[in-house]
Amino acid sequence: MSDTIATEATESPGARPAGETTQAEATREASSIEMKGLHKRFGRDTVALDGVDLTIEPGEFFTLLGPSGCGKTTLLRILAGLEEADDGRLAIGGRDITEVPPHKRSVNTVFQSYALFPHLSVRENLAFGLKMRGMSPARREARVAKIAEFIQLGDLVDRRIDQLSGGQRQRIALARALVNEPDVLLLDEPLSALDAGLRSQLQVELLRVQKRLGMTFVFVTHDQQEAMVMSDRIAVLNGGVIQQVGPPRQVYEHPVNAFVARFMGHDNLYPITARDGDRLTTSLGELTAEEAGQGELLLIRPETLDLLPGEVAGENHLPAVVSERLYRGSHAEYRLEIGASTLQATLNNRGRHLPEVGDRVTVSVAPEDLVTLSE
Amino acid sequence: MRKRTLKRGLTGFWWFTLAFLYLPLAVVVLFSFNASNSAATFTGISLRWYGRLMGNEEILSAFANSMILAITSSVIALGVGCLIGYGMYRHRHRKLGWLIVLIYLPIVLPDIVFGISEMTFFVQIHRLTGLLQPGLGTMIIAHITFQIPFVALIVYSRFVGLDPTLFEAAKDLYATPVKRVVHFMLPTIKPALISAFFLSFTLSVDDFVISFFTAGPESATLPIYIWGAIKKGVSPEINAIATLMIGAVALAALISLVFSRRRQA
Amino acid sequence: MAYTGVTPSARSRGMVRESRHLLFTVAPGATWIVIFLVLPSAYLMGVAFMTNGPYGLPEMPLSLESFRRLAGFGFLGWSPGNLYTLLRSLWQTLVSTGLVVVVAYPIAYYISTCRARWRPIMLLLVVVPSWTNQVIRTFGWMNLLAPGTPLSNLAESLGFIAPNMGLYPSNFAVTLGLVYNFLPFMVLPLYAAFEKLDTAQVEAAQDLFASPVRAFWHAVFPQTLPGLLAGIVLVAIPAFGMYVIPELLGGGKGMMLGNLVANQFAGGANWPLGAAGAILMLIATFVGLFAMRRIGKRLGGGEEVVI
Repeated sequence: MSDTIATEATESPGARPAGETTQAEATREASSIEMKGLHKRFGRDTVALDGVDLTIEPGEFFTLLGPSGCGKTTLLRILAGLEEADDGRLAIGGRDITEVPPHKRSVNTVFQSYALFPHLSVRENLAFGLKMRGMSPARREARVAKIAEFIQLGDLVDRRIDQLSGGQRQRIALARALVNEPDVLLLDEPLSALDAGLRSQLQVELLRVQKRLGMTFVFVTHDQQEAMVMSDRIAVLNGGVIQQVGPPRQVYEHPVNAFVARFMGHDNLYPITARDGDRLTTSLGELTAEEAGQGELLLIRPETLDLLPGEVAGENHLPAVVSERLYRGSHAEYRLEIGASTLQATLNNRGRHLPEVGDRVTVSVAPEDLVTLSE
Repeated sequence: MRKRTLKRGLTGFWWFTLAFLYLPLAVVVLFSFNASNSAATFTGISLRWYGRLMGNEEILSAFANSMILAITSSVIALGVGCLIGYGMYRHRHRKLGWLIVLIYLPIVLPDIVFGISEMTFFVQIHRLTGLLQPGLGTMIIAHITFQIPFVALIVYSRFVGLDPTLFEAAKDLYATPVKRVVHFMLPTIKPALISAFFLSFTLSVDDFVISFFTAGPESATLPIYIWGAIKKGVSPEINAIATLMIGAVALAALISLVFSRRRQA
Repeated sequence: MAYTGVTPSARSRGMVRESRHLLFTVAPGATWIVIFLVLPSAYLMGVAFMTNGPYGLPEMPLSLESFRRLAGFGFLGWSPGNLYTLLRSLWQTLVSTGLVVVVAYPIAYYISTCRARWRPIMLLLVVVPSWTNQVIRTFGWMNLLAPGTPLSNLAESLGFIAPNMGLYPSNFAVTLGLVYNFLPFMVLPLYAAFEKLDTAQVEAAQDLFASPVRAFWHAVFPQTLPGLLAGIVLVAIPAFGMYVIPELLGGGKGMMLGNLVANQFAGGANWPLGAAGAILMLIATFVGLFAMRRIGKRLGGGEEVVI
């Protein structure tokens, strides 16, 4: 099972003298991650991971997305070495590290609670990993100064931990992990404790850091918006099994099953009751898709719909009544009744007419925007 | 208006209670400076009883015994209790009911039962094997036994108050098991350890009943000496030595309090 | 991929490691307590069922003689001495616990109504005397209650005591000593209860019930009950087994169970009789703890207050 993973564990990464890894950021080689058949159970019945195979490319911003209890955090902890897989292999940068303890892995984590040491100053927190690897005080100081400049910590390094705000703690936690120049950086919902404004600001900052360093980032979140903003690729997990892996657009626009579709925020899912080539019959009526595929569910994304006033006949035109409208400024969200079914639609506000509640309208959708998927 | 009367009444009661609490100690301190022998009338200030202490071999040896006992037992209890406290924390998700019972047993057992259990046990072991002759050794053993739970509970509660991911952060940041203890755990619980040490010390110096039953003929501590002196007939010297003990224990306990404050902060 | 089952090695290796860790951290202290407290207590309990030997040491055969002696049956038939001691212990425990409640309740309430910055200092003031050695504190009372002191003279002129007797040794002095000794043990848990008091409930009760007495009874008292129970456990259990205070302040007619037990291991040695008394104390301790735990559980949230 593990023959595709290189098993030349001649030397554990953490055992390298710390000095050898101080290369310029740009010339650093990013590391790949390979997972093969990872299983993890807690207690007798709780299955956290049920056979995970995944390859993460060097330099990728990779996100593990899923609801709580889906196994994403367990997977991250196995990468960090904080949890041991019951079965399966794990390799980073071509080295098998399945049985390497966390303190010998060149992997660092930004924890959800930040986990800054309360008995140490910010500066000592930043230098902790370097000190543990036996780097001399002078070199530690230089490295800490460099990372402080890179993350733009300013005078934060001279503060005590209890003098920091949530956002500042988050950036210190990031700097404390990055200063070690690990092969892979793991981030466990690092932004979930922050308020919305700060959160989107730090999302951008985090993304910039990752692109400048070219380091492999593995990011865990339950927020699909955040996942789409940040990631090169996303893996959606449920019940310890990977449902879909792909770039954000692919996962959002072409979810492979109903779970992924719903988790990405889609509500317009309709069972296909009959099909004739690309002509599909659902409770909404008959619609033509460009490439129908073999799925038994039809997905209609709200933003692909157009609303025409009154009744207009035509292909992929459905008569509907507006039952609810949420005006949001830049756009408006509609709830439409078609027979006994309801349909969500989102209309950009481009100064055009926005139908009112009670209006009779015609829903129009392009065949290329219709996707089918399996349950 | 009735509320104000109530408040005034309570204030009066508060000061009365404070007087009740401090009167016996104040009398001891006051009469330690009494110029005369009388325990009932104060005739003038003098330091003669303190001077007498310095020349009293028995008191000096009792003081030495108290210190040896308190320091030795506190140091050992700190080590053993600290390990249990950490073990209780690390394995808190397991069913450790038996351990909790064991930890609380020395706390809930009435002093007198504690003391005579140890005494009968030590006496019989000594009769059978010649080991554990009553003396400082047996007292140290007994004191460690009642100090362990306090140390363990203080250390445990310090660990419980920590963010559990700190332990993982230390692992993640390349700390080997030994370095985790030296650079993370010990510095983090240092205030708790200091507080636990001073509490153990205070408990030991304060204890009379358990010491009384486990002591040998040569190992009288200050409380045992005072007890004997009281039983023989009150001497004003007792006031002087008692005053010194009130001061010393209050100081040690205050240090413990200061560190327990910092522990919570 | 088919999930064929867990490789046992990784899991069992982790479990072995955890168990070894538990053993390494907990075993030294646990062994210590077992050897130096559990075994001795078990031995003491065994002694209670043995026969008293010539030097007060226990001997075979097993018998219930010591329990008969404890109940007052001796060589000369039945005498009420031991029974009096038992009843006196119970009575002193009841009276002193009751008095401690009466003093501590208003004090704890008063502290909770003072400004937040003063409260820790006030609590400290209540607790500091209990840090001093029990023998010294009791000695302080001996000084205060001795014949010729102002307190004794006052009691004498009011006709409470005979001339030149002093207020100690007496049962009154023992009660006073017990109240003094245990007051902080009651103030602390009561204060904790008052501090958590839900003032909204109290205000609602003041709206609903015209009289402040009824408002107190319906809104305040039930909320402080867990603290009160914890305080009662902390006071009554050690009071019942008290040795130092009755020994110094009580004299021959103020003896309590603790003195009866202790005496059997000193001068008039009779280990089995003393051990039987110790068993009685243990039973009282565990019954007290158990009862409070049950009541505490019924009240809800009282569980952690007891221990």
